[in-house]
Amino acid sequence: MKRTLLLSYFLTFVFAFSALAQQTVTGTVTDDSGEGLPGVNVVIKGTTEGATTDLDGNFRLSVAGNETVLVFSFVGMDPQEITVGSRTVIDVSMASSATELAELVVVGYGTQSKRFMTDNVAKLSAEDISGVPIPSFQNALSGKAAGVRVTQQNGKVESGISVSIRGQASVSASSQPLFVLDGVPLINDNESQNTSAVNPLLSIPASDIESISILKDASSAAIYGARGANGVVIITTKRGKEGKAQFSLNVSGGISSPTNTRDWLNSEQYIELFLEAGDNASWTDRTFVEARFDRYSNGTWGTPDQFDTDWEDVAFQDGHVKDVDFSVSGGNNGSTYFLGASYNETKGIIRSNELERFSGRANLSQKINDKFTTGINFNFSRVTIDRVANDNAFTTPLQAIAQSPLSPTHFGASDLANTGESGPFTRTVYANFLLQDEFGSYETIVTRSIGKLFGQYKFTDWLKFNTDFAYDIFNQTEDRWDGSRVPFQSTEGQAFASNVFTTNYVWSNYATFDKVFDAHSLNLVVGTEYNQSNRRYTDVTATNFPSDDLQTVTSGATISAGNGTKTAYAFVGFFARAQYSFQDKYIVNASVRRDGSSRFGSDNQYGTFPAVSVGWILSEESFLDNLSALSFLKLRASYGELGNSEIGNFASRGLFQGVSYNQRPGLVPTQPGNNLLGWESSKQTDIGIEFGLMDGRISGEIDYYKKDSEGLLFNVPLVPSSGPNNENGNNGTISRNIGDLENTGVEILLNGDVIQGGDLTWNVGFNIAKNKNEAVAIPEGNDIVSGRNLIREGETLNSLYLIEYAGVDPANGDALYYTNTENADGSIDRSTTNDPNAADRIVAGSPVPEWIGGLTSSVRYKNFDFSFTFQGEWGASIYNGGGRFQSANADWFDNQTTDQMDRWQNPGDITNVPQARLGEGNGSSHSTRWIQDADFIRLRNVTLAYNLPNSLLSNTGLTSVRVYATAINALTFTDYDGYDPEARQDAAARTSTPGQGQTFYSAPAAKTFTLGVNVKF
Amino acid sequence: MKKNIYILSVCLLALWSCDDRLNIEPAQSISVEAALSSEANIKGILIGAYNEAGEDDSYGGQLQVISDLLGATNQLTWQGTFIQPREFFQKGILVDNTWAEQAWRNGYETINQVNLVIDNIDIIEDAAEADRVEGEAKFLRGLTYFDLVRHFGISWGASNTAPNSGVPLQLTGIVDYSADQSIARSTVADIYAQVISDLTSAMALLPATNDEFADAFAAEALLARVYLQQGNYAAARDAADNVIANSGHSMAATFAGAFNNDSDGSEDVFTFQVTNQTGANDLVIYYADQPTGGRQGDIAVAAGYTALFDDPVNDDRASFTYVSVDNGLDLTLKYSNQFANVAVIRLAEMHLIRAESNERLGTSIGATPADDINLNIRARSNAPALAVVDVAAILNERQLELGFEGFLIHDLKRTGTAVGTIPAADPSLVVPIPQDEMDTNPLMVQSLGYN
Repeated sequence: MKRTLLLSYFLTFVFAFSALAQQTVTGTVTDDSGEGLPGVNVVIKGTTEGATTDLDGNFRLSVAGNETVLVFSFVGMDPQEITVGSRTVIDVSMASSATELAELVVVGYGTQSKRFMTDNVAKLSAEDISGVPIPSFQNALSGKAAGVRVTQQNGKVESGISVSIRGQASVSASSQPLFVLDGVPLINDNESQNTSAVNPLLSIPASDIESISILKDASSAAIYGARGANGVVIITTKRGKEGKAQFSLNVSGGISSPTNTRDWLNSEQYIELFLEAGDNASWTDRTFVEARFDRYSNGTWGTPDQFDTDWEDVAFQDGHVKDVDFSVSGGNNGSTYFLGASYNETKGIIRSNELERFSGRANLSQKINDKFTTGINFNFSRVTIDRVANDNAFTTPLQAIAQSPLSPTHFGASDLANTGESGPFTRTVYANFLLQDEFGSYETIVTRSIGKLFGQYKFTDWLKFNTDFAYDIFNQTEDRWDGSRVPFQSTEGQAFASNVFTTNYVWSNYATFDKVFDAHSLNLVVGTEYNQSNRRYTDVTATNFPSDDLQTVTSGATISAGNGTKTAYAFVGFFARAQYSFQDKYIVNASVRRDGSSRFGSDNQYGTFPAVSVGWILSEESFLDNLSALSFLKLRASYGELGNSEIGNFASRGLFQGVSYNQRPGLVPTQPGNNLLGWESSKQTDIGIEFGLMDGRISGEIDYYKKDSEGLLFNVPLVPSSGPNNENGNNGTISRNIGDLENTGVEILLNGDVIQGGDLTWNVGFNIAKNKNEAVAIPEGNDIVSGRNLIREGETLNSLYLIEYAGVDPANGDALYYTNTENADGSIDRSTTNDPNAADRIVAGSPVPEWIGGLTSSVRYKNFDFSFTFQGEWGASIYNGGGRFQSANADWFDNQTTDQMDRWQNPGDITNVPQARLGEGNGSSHSTRWIQDADFIRLRNVTLAYNLPNSLLSNTGLTSVRVYATAINALTFTDYDGYDPEARQDAAARTSTPGQGQTFYSAPAAKTFTLGVNVKF
Repeated sequence: MKKNIYILSVCLLALWSCDDRLNIEPAQSISVEAALSSEANIKGILIGAYNEAGEDDSYGGQLQVISDLLGATNQLTWQGTFIQPREFFQKGILVDNTWAEQAWRNGYETINQVNLVIDNIDIIEDAAEADRVEGEAKFLRGLTYFDLVRHFGISWGASNTAPNSGVPLQLTGIVDYSADQSIARSTVADIYAQVISDLTSAMALLPATNDEFADAFAAEALLARVYLQQGNYAAARDAADNVIANSGHSMAATFAGAFNNDSDGSEDVFTFQVTNQTGANDLVIYYADQPTGGRQGDIAVAAGYTALFDDPVNDDRASFTYVSVDNGLDLTLKYSNQFANVAVIRLAEMHLIRAESNERLGTSIGATPADDINLNIRARSNAPALAVVDVAAILNERQLELGFEGFLIHDLKRTGTAVGTIPAADPSLVVPIPQDEMDTNPLMVQSLGYN
């Protein structure tokens, strides 16, 4: 009421100054649903005079005469020019602009129009994300945004997903971006108790998501300050709109299989190769091998009963997917609602790996009065996962490929009669995972609730205040049972039960000022945020069970281990952002955030993170008016400083912990302290051009960026003889800010509406990004080596570092390595040696790709639509740590890949596979023998759909029915002959970076074919 | 207007910071300052050092298995799938061998922890208590340095003072790792000198009995072993004799009774404690089959061992094996209780040391060599008395009695006996300095024969 009064005062003021006004024009501006549109600019063309519509869409203006042209413009709508003529009332209905530029993009604490954005933000809408029935929604981001690399770690249904924006910017601190859902920074910690990751974001179904914004450059992410250094992924969930209730039901189902299988020796080949290996061994002969064959084959080898088991087939299973989601949304009388529920059941491609998820969501908002709106977003989900062991455990199903084909999977009827043995066969080369499968179980349940209570108070049209109280409550329980017949079980059964309970609370308060004065437009956000997280963990282990049928801890006679820990962290932040634009052409954006964290020592607790970006919309300039083909041209540049604080909660302190010796209490040092430990800071520069040709039919962006990470938080290895602690994941290291890392790159995005007919449209989107990653400075310039990875100045971070395999000596079948030592004159000695200890290691490959790209195409013809997305990566290498067992010319009794049949046999043979010599390690040292390029192009998803014509639906009350078929990971083009060029080892220390370029019995991703129907009414 | 001001001030209050909420303390840890500032905590660090030394990387099993595999030719076979131990069996150890690395790391962790105890010993007020604590710390340090130099350094002998023949000597506890920790190798002579100094001091400081922890006789027994390795037979004989005569320990009534004890038996001079909740006994893991708590009978007793027995029929030790469920081979019964304590020193070794030293010196301190062997060792295993008890017989008896307990390679090295065709002084029998040490310590020089 008061506000309208103010406006009328203002208007009267205006009238007083335009005493020469001859005509008063009034009217109402509405949007396409008939609602009044506030904030629409009504400007007299050729002048800067005008008005803005009020809350109800009304305006009032004084014009000179009949010829006056009024220009109505509003972000997101097509502008309209209307000649006044003789009218005194002009009502205008504005239509949403179809072009991308008119879109609103969600950024931190607000939205910005894509047209006026000076930051680099990629946006994905619900259509981009939906229709992908895989439980992890991050999969849908793959190939869609330039510079964003999404990797599925392996083919397990709960597998960790790694998202990397513009290259890896950190070594030890996490490289994962910050995920924010409706304003809550999400708990994204892998809480798995067996080092094989469980993707914590599994709890969020894709059907809840309205849009995803990926903040890629410093200026956009700076408002998240201390946590924005790896980029920010903002997820916005669906909300209702005022109007009639809209129902939506989506049902889909499908089957999955592995994307790739490998060729392993069959029984005949196995016998041939290993007998030869026994003959060639100096310490034994073939009788030893034959004795082993007897044991592994249960006495059947060389007889008609000889087995030829395809163990790989046993480890995999046909998977399936069922996915249902249902939602209703709408609103009236100032309230809007979105209610949704979803169910997903995924049976994975690895035996005994399954997942089931229920989730529900309610997003409600209520306008209490003209000024005050409040609401609640609430989500609840429960995911139950049947799991298998991690990649390095003997009972992981994929380890079954190492079993001899001579072994049966189970004992037979004759065994039951003769020796009384039954069930899975026990005398295999490695423990038979089927024993774990049949007599053990491992279940993880993730229960999660994420929600937000919000309120918005509008002081005036241009000043509002938001308060958000958000929470993320995460609970993960793991129950593991090992029956007495499980491998390595000797305690009459064992039960393990663990419980993690983490809560994350965020309270944000911010004020927004948004005003247009003539040609100036100013948007200001000022706010504060407090974030607290608490984690409580307990577990207990029990042994000695009276029966294999009693499987919970209480039934065990002995409690053999127990743990209980608590930890917490807190962040306090102040932020401010201002965006100013002049004449809708010249734009400046500046932001600053000051964050304090409990993770750093009191000397270094706070950090300040500023950013600035500018933009110039050239296409609005008069000197470009003649270039009609160029519909849009914008130059933008940004610079900002961000922080990375994702290290342990007490990483800077020197600590001791309690231990038990013979059940007496003791103390042990666990972490060396570092008072100087501070933020990792990242300074990023981004320069970009956005353009549109032929009225936006072709549009694109080209960006160049440079990201300098300084003071990298790294666990520097300490000299082992100085006795640093080697447990609790410390591995004899100390946390230090040690050096500088640089990521530079180029991103190119192109979109084209190739065909824009009535019946036929075809749109193509293409993105490609290059990232070069280099360690620029390390203290004292010394190499830091950990395992097979190297950090060295001038090289890519975590380069693979191995001795170089040189093939086979034709004279004697020895495996050879290049010595690669440096001669006195500086040249490299390329002579070969058969002693791996005499060879120097070299930089053998990069764990991350240099180029990543995606191609998306959508065709619509009448009621059909067909779309697909390709994703590709070039420049990465993978080291297969399992190669030492799998492709080692019969070094030990593991089954080998068929290429090992090309082994050296006689003097003069030229081959790359050394002579088979049992147990002598001929060629089985870590070396480049098992490094391959991991370049690939993958058809990530392809969908064919048919929308039932309206004529069929008219009497049914349904608004639309869409029938579709989708394939995920349908095709993969690669020269890599391992399982999957994307799969990486999961049994690393609890780190979220994919195994630094290594794989070890990692399962390939699944390809899935589904059929579904989507009904709206 | 008034309502607006009210609303505005509520909003401003909401912008107030929660600064003091940033001071959060860890719940499962205490600071370095707190850990080193009280008597109870220093004693706690000593207990923690026992736990550290008893871990599977060291005395919890891997050290003994390394020694057994390095010294073996036909006495055992390695059946397991792990590559690291196989390298020891094949006498072809790579510089990135993780067992070597873990033994090195864990040894120096133990050394650092006991150094912290010794550095802060003055905090203990009672003199007798302080002596006991210092004695135990020095015992553990002496034990660890002895095993480090036996494995990673060259054998005691002519080249004792050759540079880079031993291992780095750290005698001060480190909690502040901000300084450069590079350190060079000391000589074999230096390390042995420190070991003997520590154990002699421990002998003087420790009480005669000390529950399950090291006591004065444990220190003296270990000294006997050290002197024997040096060929200092007189000192070895006297130390062993004192332990036998005065420690109160006695041989178990049967051979089987000496092993697989949940709590220390009469024959145990020093053990690392293992329960079903704490400690590690990896000797079970590698020597036993799955139902017994092992992997799959990775180390099997071979014909070459049984051939050493003069009377395999009557001698209990020759049949102290069982047939593995996993692979049908013979496994030793010495490790058939997965929660048994790990014996580091048992009295039988003292008798063998006394007998060998007496024989070599032509003396009969405490007992004649023949009596020591026949009455004290062989009788309880029902082995008939040997007619001739000379050095060769005694060395063979060591294998019969102490087989699979981590002694063989060290006996071969000190007597200059070849391991099959490999001479005792061959570089391939010396464990290489771990790659991680080479990568981080510029003063470290790799052992002969390794890159």
